[in-house]
Amino acid sequence: MRLVAVDACGREAGLRMDQTLSDARALFPDLDVFDHDPAADAVLLSAIAAWCDRYTPLVALDRSCQSDGSAAAVHCAGLLLDITGCSHLFGGEEAMLLDVVGRLRAAGLMASAAIADTPGAAWAFARYSDRQIITSGDHQRQLLDLPLISLRLDLPMLDMLKKLGLRTIGCIADLPRAPLAARFGNGLLQRLDQALGRQEEAISPRLPVPELSSERVFAEPIILQDDIERTVGQLAGHLRQRFDERQLGARALELKLFRVDGHVACVRVRAASPVYSIDRIVMLFRERIAGFHDDLEAGFGFDLVRLNVLESEARQSEQGEMTGGSMRGEGFSNLVDKLGARLGTDRVQRFVAAGTHIPERSFGLLPEASCGQKDAGAQAVLWRQDNHGHEGDGPAVLTRPVILFERPEQVEAIAEVPDGPPVRFRWRRTLYRIERSEGPERIACEWWRDGRGGYSRDYFRVEDDQGYRFWMFRLGLFERETGNPKWFMHGIFA
Amino acid sequence: MQGNNAHRQMEALQEAVAKVDGRHASFARRARSRGHNDGSIVDFDIAAIDGVFKGGFPAFALHEVRCSLTRDIGAATGFLAGLLAGCMQQRQGRIVWICDPACRLDGGQLFPAGLAMFGLDPARLVVVQPVDLKAALWASDEAAKCQELAGVIFQVKGNPRNFDMTATRRLMLKAQQNGQFIAILRQGGEEEANAAATRWHVRAQPSMVDPDIQRGIGLLQLNLVLERNRHGQTGHWTIAWNQKTHGFEHAPTHYVDRPALSSDRSDGAPQMGQVMAFERAS
Repeated sequence: MRLVAVDACGREAGLRMDQTLSDARALFPDLDVFDHDPAADAVLLSAIAAWCDRYTPLVALDRSCQSDGSAAAVHCAGLLLDITGCSHLFGGEEAMLLDVVGRLRAAGLMASAAIADTPGAAWAFARYSDRQIITSGDHQRQLLDLPLISLRLDLPMLDMLKKLGLRTIGCIADLPRAPLAARFGNGLLQRLDQALGRQEEAISPRLPVPELSSERVFAEPIILQDDIERTVGQLAGHLRQRFDERQLGARALELKLFRVDGHVACVRVRAASPVYSIDRIVMLFRERIAGFHDDLEAGFGFDLVRLNVLESEARQSEQGEMTGGSMRGEGFSNLVDKLGARLGTDRVQRFVAAGTHIPERSFGLLPEASCGQKDAGAQAVLWRQDNHGHEGDGPAVLTRPVILFERPEQVEAIAEVPDGPPVRFRWRRTLYRIERSEGPERIACEWWRDGRGGYSRDYFRVEDDQGYRFWMFRLGLFERETGNPKWFMHGIFA
Repeated sequence: MQGNNAHRQMEALQEAVAKVDGRHASFARRARSRGHNDGSIVDFDIAAIDGVFKGGFPAFALHEVRCSLTRDIGAATGFLAGLLAGCMQQRQGRIVWICDPACRLDGGQLFPAGLAMFGLDPARLVVVQPVDLKAALWASDEAAKCQELAGVIFQVKGNPRNFDMTATRRLMLKAQQNGQFIAILRQGGEEEANAAATRWHVRAQPSMVDPDIQRGIGLLQLNLVLERNRHGQTGHWTIAWNQKTHGFEHAPTHYVDRPALSSDRSDGAPQMGQVMAFERAS
């Protein structure tokens, strides 16, 4: 067993990383040892990343090192924040850095941070230098004194460089590039260029940047739900102007509540039609929070509340207001929003037709909130055509059941071979005797989906002696496809 | 006087047109033209059933359709789909179908192609599937408040305790205020007192014999018991769904057990050979 991480006191006592545990215990018998738990570390790091959203929308987990659980990987754990255009909100870069580090230290995390022009340089200064703020354009000179390990290189390459006597970045910065590349590969030059700013390096933020965002910081944390709702109203009021300028409305909104102790609660809502009025946005969040059954832990209160617009859409024309009455369709989309906010948008659904004959796949249920108004018209035509087909010269009987089982249920059936209807069957522990039947209606498999060997289904409409009408099918053609075809119950007729 | 004549003539013409287009003459398709043209009163076009509704079947009210056994859910759903399609003829707007989670466990789900055969456009439906009964009750209440909805169907299993007189009365009031067809589809439940205007008990019945096809399934028949009726008498009929005319029609059964007790009353339904008494008149 080896040490993968050592805190400041441990370092003073002479412990170092990669030391065996027995050596460390020999040096310091009262050592407190904890098992290394990379999963818990990752969870903690992403929680800190969520908390860092309060500074900038562009927060990236540092992925430059492999997370193989080695000592080096633990040491590499970090976050990259792109604070371009954000620092003035916190009183300048220095104040912002002090705020970040101060708050993290207060939470018991030994954080160190640095601000520099490139992600690579910031990474290096945060770990291997005391300098915290590198003035713009100065990082190329300052980097030269740092050890080569600060270039995010892997261990074999570092060893090789060390053997050659190359110890600082300054040693390799001015060497001819071609021999370097020939000897060490492109990885070294790439890391060097990224740190010096000769090559662009993009950080990958953990969350997409919201289209619009509005936030409010509280000196005194808020706890009450009424206060949260009022704050949402104020933030929506700020967004309202932006919406009006661009003639937009929000389809998806997100409320981020930053708790004093660093926890970040996130509440998301979707709207059926673009929303921009303050009342409707507040209503959406009120229903969503009510649907939580008090799961929104306020703790000691929230000191930052932010409202993000994740998805927006152009508003539909407001012709309805010309006539004076309320806009047509508004009441309905209000209802859909309200139900979706409380129950979850995926529980308020509509039927959509799919292009297949297999009954259980011939339709789908899609969230009503994600379907636009335009889709509704197209769908309606599709169903009605289907309907007309049966009204005209179609069969004079109902050929499709009203209730369908998502998964056909296998029954024990006695039927004539090769292709007769069932005579008796047992379904859900009840025996049914078939009096009358019609069929078969053959629905072949979709070979492009089920594979070429898929069995076809022969559907029968059967009626038992009590008058119950069922839709059953035999899976597989007798002898041509299978020797022992199975029977399934698939639907109930009126 | 003149206006009255013109009115009657108009009615006669409408009748003639309706006869040409057979669909419109059938069940519940024709809103009564006297006074209301908003579809709040509909006719079944089955003399025996229309007879028990004094002033017509009120579409904008709370109704209940129930079945005793789980396997009867097909029959109950089919009857409700036909009833709904008839009542929605005059009314634009979407229909919210709220499904109590207990129903989904073994009951299967609605099949849009089957509903379309009853003349109900599946694209009008909004299917709501709450996680628990409490949320389902809340959803039904919210849906009933929305004036733009044409109908609300609340499917429950059994007799949940908190869906009581108060809850149903609230739904009934909203239905009347907002002009909605609100129905409770109760699967496998007992009859219980609530504020619904009508309560129908539906049971599957062997289909009509089709002389052309031996052992074939003819017009589907449903055994219909009107257990409760706030606007008149109750009754017991067998109806059949005619896919050609797209409507329910009366299917006289060939047996008469006993003469109907209620038909002896002076203001009762017109005497029909097939109306029979049943023990549970409420």
